[in-house]
Formats: sequence, C-alpha cells, structure tokens
Amino acid sequence: MGPGSLWSWFAATRVGRSIFRVGPPQSNLERSQAMVSSFLLHVQPAKVNRHALRASYSLGLGLISLYLFLILTGTGVLLMFYYVPSTTQAYDRMKDLQFVVSAGLFVRNMHRWAAHLMVASVMLHMCRVFYTGAYKPPREFNWLVGVGLFLTTLGLSFTGYLLPWDQLAFWAITVGTSIAGYAPVVGPGLKYLMLGGNIVGQEALTRFYALHVIVLPAIAGLMVAVHLFRVRKDGGLSRPGESADTVQSLALDQLPTNKTYGLMELARGTTPQVGQNPEDEVFSWPHLIFRELLLFLVVVAFVLFLAIFWNAPLEELANPIHPPNPAKAPWYFLGLQELVSYSAFWGGVVVPALIVTALVVLPYVDRRRVGVGRWFARERRVATMVFSVCVAAAIAFTVIGTYFRGPNWGWVVPWRTPPPAMEGR
Amino acid sequence: MDNGSLQRFYGWFSALCVVVGLLTGLGYYRDEYRPWKDYQRRFIAEEVRRAASPEQRQQAMRTPIQIQQILLPELNRVDRCTTCHLAAEDPSYGGYPQPLAYHPRHDEHPFDKFGCTICHRGQGRATTTEDAHGNVAHWDQPMLPLKYIEASCGQCHEAADNPAAPRLARGAQVFETVGCRGCHKLGGVGGVVGPELDRVGARRSPEWLRAHFLEPAAVTPGSGMPPQKLSEPDIDAVVLFMLSQTGEALPGFYASMKVIPSAAQGLHLFQQKGCIGCHSMGGQGGKVGPALDDVGLRRKPEWIIQHFRDPQTVSPGTVMPKFGFTEAEARALTDFLLHKRDQAVALEIPALMSPVDRGREVFRKYGCAGCHGPDGKGGVPNPNAKTAQQVPALTYVADGYTKPELRRLIQGGQREIPALDPARPPPPLYMPAWGTTIRDAELDDLVAYLLSLKPKGEDLGF
Amino acid sequence: MGPTPRNGPVVSRRSFLQLSMGWIAGTFAAAATALGTMRFLEPNVVFEPAQKFKAGAPEDYPDGSITFLEEERVFLLRRGNTFRCLSAVCTHLGCTVNRTEGGFHCPCHGSVFSPDGVVESGPAPKPLTWFLVTLSKDSRLLVDKGQSVGIDKYLIL
Repeated sequence: MGPGSLWSWFAATRVGRSIFRVGPPQSNLERSQAMVSSFLLHVQPAKVNRHALRASYSLGLGLISLYLFLILTGTGVLLMFYYVPSTTQAYDRMKDLQFVVSAGLFVRNMHRWAAHLMVASVMLHMCRVFYTGAYKPPREFNWLVGVGLFLTTLGLSFTGYLLPWDQLAFWAITVGTSIAGYAPVVGPGLKYLMLGGNIVGQEALTRFYALHVIVLPAIAGLMVAVHLFRVRKDGGLSRPGESADTVQSLALDQLPTNKTYGLMELARGTTPQVGQNPEDEVFSWPHLIFRELLLFLVVVAFVLFLAIFWNAPLEELANPIHPPNPAKAPWYFLGLQELVSYSAFWGGVVVPALIVTALVVLPYVDRRRVGVGRWFARERRVATMVFSVCVAAAIAFTVIGTYFRGPNWGWVVPWRTPPPAMEGR
Repeated sequence: MDNGSLQRFYGWFSALCVVVGLLTGLGYYRDEYRPWKDYQRRFIAEEVRRAASPEQRQQAMRTPIQIQQILLPELNRVDRCTTCHLAAEDPSYGGYPQPLAYHPRHDEHPFDKFGCTICHRGQGRATTTEDAHGNVAHWDQPMLPLKYIEASCGQCHEAADNPAAPRLARGAQVFETVGCRGCHKLGGVGGVVGPELDRVGARRSPEWLRAHFLEPAAVTPGSGMPPQKLSEPDIDAVVLFMLSQTGEALPGFYASMKVIPSAAQGLHLFQQKGCIGCHSMGGQGGKVGPALDDVGLRRKPEWIIQHFRDPQTVSPGTVMPKFGFTEAEARALTDFLLHKRDQAVALEIPALMSPVDRGREVFRKYGCAGCHGPDGKGGVPNPNAKTAQQVPALTYVADGYTKPELRRLIQGGQREIPALDPARPPPPLYMPAWGTTIRDAELDDLVAYLLSLKPKGEDLGF
Repeated sequence: MGPTPRNGPVVSRRSFLQLSMGWIAGTFAAAATALGTMRFLEPNVVFEPAQKFKAGAPEDYPDGSITFLEEERVFLLRRGNTFRCLSAVCTHLGCTVNRTEGGFHCPCHGSVFSPDGVVESGPAPKPLTWFLVTLSKDSRLLVDKGQSVGIDKYLIL
C-alpha cells in the first residue's frame, strides 16, 4: 500500500538504513529487532504477554498519564516562549496569549485541560493498580515510585496553578500553602521555603516557576524512567496466574550446561522468563506498539476537543487585599480543605500524613500474593473494601468542598442558591 | 496480527487520524481567524475606494493586516484599540460609523503618549470587541459610557474649576456642599462612618453609584446612608466625580498638569498660598509687596510668569521667596493676575474673615452637613435613633451646650447612639471623633459658628 | 517465474482507502501542528518603541532649522517647504552624533559627517541614514524609522 511502500523504499536506501537499522518488520526476527534496536522502543520487550494488551484490564491508564505528560511538556515549552514569571507581567502575558499570540489560547487550553486530566488519570491508575493487586511483591518498589510520581504530579499541578497570577491562582496557593503550614514542627519552615518568604509574592512566583518548568519535570522524567524499567524487571504488567509461573528465581545450578547464556538469563532475581508459555506471548511489534499508537491518538484527540470548546479560566488580576469569598484550593486539594475546615490539625496534617504513610507502607504490609492480576478478586475483598471506602470518602469530601461550600465556607445548596444581586458593581 | 484485526486497526487508525486532523485544523483555525482582521480589511477597502490616485490605491492595498498597539510603559498599559479603530487620527473619517470613526480633540492628549484606556477604560490588551470594551466577567473596568467621560479628566486634573470638564467641577462642588465628607474620607480628610472613597471609581460602576445615591439601603443592605435628594443633573455630576476617584498612581509626566492653567485655578492657588500676606488686593492685605490689582497693566505676561518661577531672576534682591510652583501652577497664577480686572472676584481670605465665617468654612470642609443637614438644619434620617429617628439638628446647640461641652463632643464623638427600640438594629449613623483632625483654631472657629446658628431674637428660656 | 511475491499483508480496497485517508489526515495533522507551532512562535506584536512616530506640526519647525529630537535620536530639517529627517545614530558603533557648524560630529570615535550625512572623516563606514517623512492624516509630520530613503527624497508641503 502506498505509504508503506514509500517507507520501505526509504528504509532500504543507504541513508534510511543508517537511521533505521530495521525497516518495516516482515519477519518475527525483524519484529524483535525493531523493538530491541530502537532507543525509544527498547524500554518495552520484544514480546509481551497477551493479557497485558487487554484494555479492560489496565484501561491504559499508565500510558494515558505518560501521554498527557508528554503533551504537557510540549505545550508547556511553547508557553514558556511568552510567559514571564513576574508579578507585574505574568497576568498581562496571559492576556497576550489569549489575544495576540496565534493559537495562544488553544495551546494554553490544551495545557490546562491536560494538567487536570493527568491528575485524574494518575489517581485512576493508582486505583487500578490497587484493585488488581499489582503492588504486591515483587512490585513493591515500583508502587513506591508510583506514589512518588503521584506526589510529583500534584506538585506540578500546584506549582503551575500559581503562574497565571490571577485571583483564582493567588488565593488557591494562599490556601494550599497555609494548609502546608499547619504541619507540626516542619510546617512553618516548609511554608517559608515554598514561598521564599512569608507572603505569596514575587519570590513565591519565581520559585514555583523554577519548580514547575525544570525541577519537578526532571524528577518526574527520572521517576518515569525508573517506573517503566521496573515494570520490565518485575515481569511486565501483572496478570492472573502469574504468581505461580513466571516469577521465579533461577538457581544457577539448575541451568542446562549445554548452551551459552546471555545476560538476561544469568541475572539474579526475578526475570521475565519470556517464553515459558509461548502461546501467551505475542510480538510487541505490532500488537503492543499499534495499540499504544491508537491510544495516543485518542488522548490527543480528547485533549484537542476539550481545548477547542472550553477555555481555561482567567479571573481578575491577583489582588492580595481582596480575597474572593470563599477562597478555594485546586480541586484535588478541596477534599483536604474541607477536612481542614473541621480541624486544621487533624484535617491538614494528620489525614494527609496518614494517607501518604498508608500508601507507602501498603505493599510491605499486604504481602499476600493472592488475587494479583484480577480486578476485585474475592480473596482480597477486605482490602478492596477498605480502599474503596477511602476513595469514596475522598471523592465525597472533594464534592462537598467543590459544590456545597459557599461564602465563609458555609453550606450552600448549589441548585437553590440565587445568583448574587448586583455583586457590588 | 491476523488480517482481520489488522483491518480493524487500520480502520481505527484512519478514523482517529481524521479526527485529530480535523480537531487540529479546527483549533488552529479558530485561533487564527480573528474578527479584527475583518475590520482591517474593511478599512483597507474603504481606503482603496477613497484613493485619489493609483499610487495611493497601491499603497492602501499593500497595508499589512496586523495588530496595532500603543505602548505606554510608564502607565504599565498596552492599548490595542487602534487595531479596529483604525481611523481615529484621520479627520476625514469624521461621522463614519464605529469602529472607523475619527476621534476628535486628541491634540492635547496625543494617542502615543496617552493611549485610549486611561480615559475610556476597558481592556486595552484585548483584541475582540466584547473583551476590549471590558463588558466581560472578571474585568473590573468596562468602558465608561460617553456621558461619564469627564470622570477620567479627574484622574490627572483637579476636579474643581476644570473648564474643560464642567460637570466634573459641578460634581466636586456638590460633594462639598452636601457634606459627603462628614461620613466618608476622601484624600485622607473626612469622617469614618462610611468607607473611604479614594478608590470608589475603580471598583463601582456608574449604575451602582447612581442607585446608591438614590436608595443606598437597596444596594448595600444595612447601610445608614440617607437617600440623597438631588436633581438629576446633580446626581450625574456627583456620580462623575466619584468615578474620577480611581486611586491610580500616575507617574510624573501624567501628574504634571494637575492644575490646568486657568484664572479660576489661579484664584484658588492665590488663596491657598497666602499671597495676601504680603500683597494687597482691593485694598486689603499686606504692604510688603506691591498691590496686585493692576499688575496686568504694568507687567508683561512673560515677566509675571518668570517672576513666579524664580523672583530673583526678574527682580534681583526681592524678598519674595521662590515657591517652587509647577509650570502649570505658574501659568494659572499668571492667568489670574492678568484677568483680575475682568473678574469680580470675592477673595475669601482667612485672615480677614470673622470666626463665624471661618467656622462656616470648617463646617463645609469636613462635610458636617452630610449628617446634620445644610447649615445644620437637620432632616437627615437615622432609623431607630431616639432623637426622633433623625440626626439631631444643630440650630439650638447654643442653648443645650457650653463651649467646652461642644468642643468635647466634637473631639470625642459619640459612638453609641441611644436606640428608640432596643429590639431593632441600632441606629447606623453616629458622631465620629474628630479630635485628631479638627483642632486648635479650626475647632474654635467651628464652635463659634455652631453657637451662631441659633436664630436671632429667639429665647427659649432654658 | 511465478506471481510477484507480496511484501505485506493483503489489503482490501476498503482498508486501503481507510489507510490512505488515515495517513493523509495524519500527515495533515502533523503538518498543521508543525506549521501551527512555527506560527505560534512568531511574535505578532513587539514590545519596543514604535518605529513610526509623529514629530509635531510642520509649523513647529522654523525655516532653515535643524532640530534634534532627543528621544527618537533623529534630526528634523526644514528648508522652505521641504522636510527631511536624518538619523543621529553614528554608523560606526551607534553613538549619538552632535550637530556642529559644518555638519555632524560623533564624540565617541571622532567620525565627522557633512550636513548631508556623508562621511567626511573617521571610522564610520556608511553615511547617516535618511528616514521617510510623510504627512499624517491629521496634518502632522510622520517619520518612519523603519524606512530609509535616499538623500533626494523629502516631504514637500
């Protein structure tokens, strides 16, 4: 077919062969080589278990998170060409993006919606990994890396939230850093470090910008690399029946002695043991790669769709003496803010600390390798229920904080509250 | 991958590529297509149509379509209004419909120094109609309706006696006469019963202000401000004056013409600066310097203005100090002296007035009439106050209070006003403590004035 | 020789159309993204002082005068009813030249220019630039520092 043969022709030329060692794969050998000899692709194995390809299993959430991260990086770099992290210029630059820069609003919208989607998708990914028991040994450390990525994602979203320097940004960060300041012993110092001072001002903006464009993305990038590496090393995506077969250490004396061994066969610890059940394995090229490409297109299409029809918000210029009533944190912290309204200590310090601690120790506490690779396995129903209750509570508090809290953090019934009259103008 | 699933993949791949292609195109196109480009094309078409020669037509057709902006770094603004309002400086477009209409009278305030939004407000950085006119959410300064445009003059110039902005001047005058300062501070002077007004023009719309003057409790629940009974033109004038109080800090160049040179401003300054201490006018005043009645006949204007800039340069050895007048102030004073003969000027010179007259000035200056009524006659409602639900009139204070009692009351104020019905909310209006503001001579004069309010010949026999 | 060996999977006409459409759309999307990115990066406005400025009314300049406009770094020359504008930026390294009896002199490295801006001595490599002067719609002198003209082009009123 047209494009394919064009590609084949190019890949066969000298220039083509110097870039792409392997042309469009025609044989199984070439399919393996395509994966292994490519810098970008060799993070994935030559063959994957058929089960890992099932969309209904993983929902592709990890990939979705990665794609969103890539979209955010691309659009973020573009935005950096116009944005200035100065309290006197930032807001005007946001206006310029909207009114003067070609496709400025479009790029900004993509960035904003991809950011919100990414926070949601990493949370959903975490839920998926929990419900399928994929944090259990040998994947404990990868779960920790995932928790680190989750916190980094929240940090990226939070630092980026301040940059437009409008009322929404300023007060959300004021609330957020105040909650951070409630922590005992380290709280005030942490807040001082975050803000570069005592107020949300130029220092805070500079620091948040530095964190947002280089520090946190670099940390995230590194952690993503480790995360994907560990997926390989832990035997690919979790699947049912895995605990029995593939995850086994090879004792050196058990190896047949009539062949030479490559690195992968000699490495200690768990190995992918590719080929144990040959009928379950398929070549990554094309089965995995093509699905990943399709998913990428779906994610891009969805982000584009949102960016075209919904504009990222931009309120009035940040005004330190005129807080909106109520001042609300970004949505992923609203549950916390609701708890803080009951008690600053319990809601702002204890609960978040408990959540993070629980996440971190989970795989070391719940080590029973049952129910791995299946959603809502019966053997794990206690764990499933506990987790679901926590998730439901988090959602409930977030919904309350979003819709049911009005001025002075008092109760409002959203479908009955009349619009404010003449709102002072 | 077998052929069936490969087919399926191709199907999905194509469909998604088409979707992504369409969305990319749509998203980009929506952002590239802007209405201002249409306005510019229309303008160019008009220019081409009006071209008087082929080379003019060529030049018009080659006009690039691009955003026009006026950079105003000192004001920290960028005005892009001329992106659509392309003929603002072209007199031949007078009478055209907007946005191609000509903007008259821009000589005194050239666009490249002042831009547009400093007077007209709105959102200068925007390039779409509704956003640029500021009629959108999250923009606090929509365009001023044209009938309130004089309010913007008041941002840089003194409101009173501004010959180019008579309604603004009237508004300033009404503000003083009605006594708004009694409850509201403006420029640091005034009472504390109501909020300060220094930034009210930036925060409130003309409609809100009007409604507030007519029926304050309707727009601000619980407000104790009495409804203002003013004529329509006066209401508009005061709204104008309030709109001019934006509290915007203006850098040097823009504040340099605070005083518009005019004879009226010159009179104002003449009274303020105490010239009468050394010079006389109309037979009254000091004898250190010459009488100034006919100075316009004796000296040329250039001499007079230079004398104000630096007396030593034109009158070596003179004892007149160098006052450090701005150029505008010097011109105003010169104007005043030159036209002195043309004006029947009643000079209010504090040193020559009686204590009662001075006291009347103090009464006016601090806006006492706002609560106690014009000339202290009362009539201002104070709901639930024991004093007949009104702020008490001052006409008979001479009977009720001794001088020391009156002074104590003025300086200490009265925060708690006895309520008629304890079940209802307390009376909103109260007497502020003026102790730090009204002191010494002003206080003496004010007391003298208040004691004089009692109608002559009345003896109530207390 | 038998039938030509096929290289890839057999495709039906429908999937060929689908695939072509997909590739075309995908290429279009990629191209639109690339071009859109380039266009995004191209500034539509610059935050620099405007190149065109108004130099006041013609009546403000007496006949035979050479007026230095400090902020714009130009000289405005009037002779009779002709108006010209000469750049005051030395073509050597950019200092502002001073007006002298016999023309212009640069205080930095000593370049000397004739009254017409031609280099008479010193390190300046090129003559001073003449800028286009036109009359604006509201009868003001309009100087465009973005358009340099020959010495023989001036505004005649």
